[in-house]
Amino acid sequence: MSAAAIGPIAPIALPTGSEVAGPRRVGDGAAFGDVLGDAIASARANEATATDLAARFAEGDTSVGIHETVIAAEKANVSLRYATTLKNKLVEAYRELMATQV
Amino acid sequence: MDFFSAMEVSASGLSAQRTRMTVASSNLANASTTRTAAGGPYQRRDVVLASVPMNNATAGVSGVAVQQIVADPTPPRLEYDPGHPDADVDGYVAYPNVNPVEEMVDMITASRAYEAGVTTLSTAVSMAERALGIGR
Repeated sequence: MSAAAIGPIAPIALPTGSEVAGPRRVGDGAAFGDVLGDAIASARANEATATDLAARFAEGDTSVGIHETVIAAEKANVSLRYATTLKNKLVEAYRELMATQV
Repeated sequence: MDFFSAMEVSASGLSAQRTRMTVASSNLANASTTRTAAGGPYQRRDVVLASVPMNNATAGVSGVAVQQIVADPTPPRLEYDPGHPDADVDGYVAYPNVNPVEEMVDMITASRAYEAGVTTLSTAVSMAERALGIGR
């Protein structure tokens, strides 16, 4: 009675090739990530403008009016809420898919 | 986002009305100024507004901008005051062609138009917020 020697444990090989391809875009519509990315970029741009105007207004720059500052802040607020709403919808859709019964 | 068009157009209106207010206050402040850098009494100023196309706005929609601030060419008001250092040989002093009543009316108009602009703006913001609340 002989027992075969137990061989060394092989290192765990990383899967290669197309097995781990990223999410694939299906159809012609923009990927959700792109839409969310655009919304976030727009929110960031508006937020930067609002911060810049607020700083210039605080420094006493006479070319910056009160309403320009407040409007920039309001735009930043609306676009941030837009991005947040999109993010919430994405997470909600993801949870819905994850809860699928198999 | 198109809600921003409404906001930008309102903002241009607010700036225009603010300029009108500034000009009215300049006219009132100088209502009895008899000396200016250009010589002679202060001349009443008027704001000329022009409609301008807005960046990124819906086509056909335009905002407003102050095109120029012009001097009112009506002749100065002459008042008999021989003791005044700026009196002419006949004893008449040329005072600015500013009518305080007219300036007050301009000021009220500018203030009401500003209010209307602010109302438009906050309505646009609340519409945007309603849109974000769809399906919540």
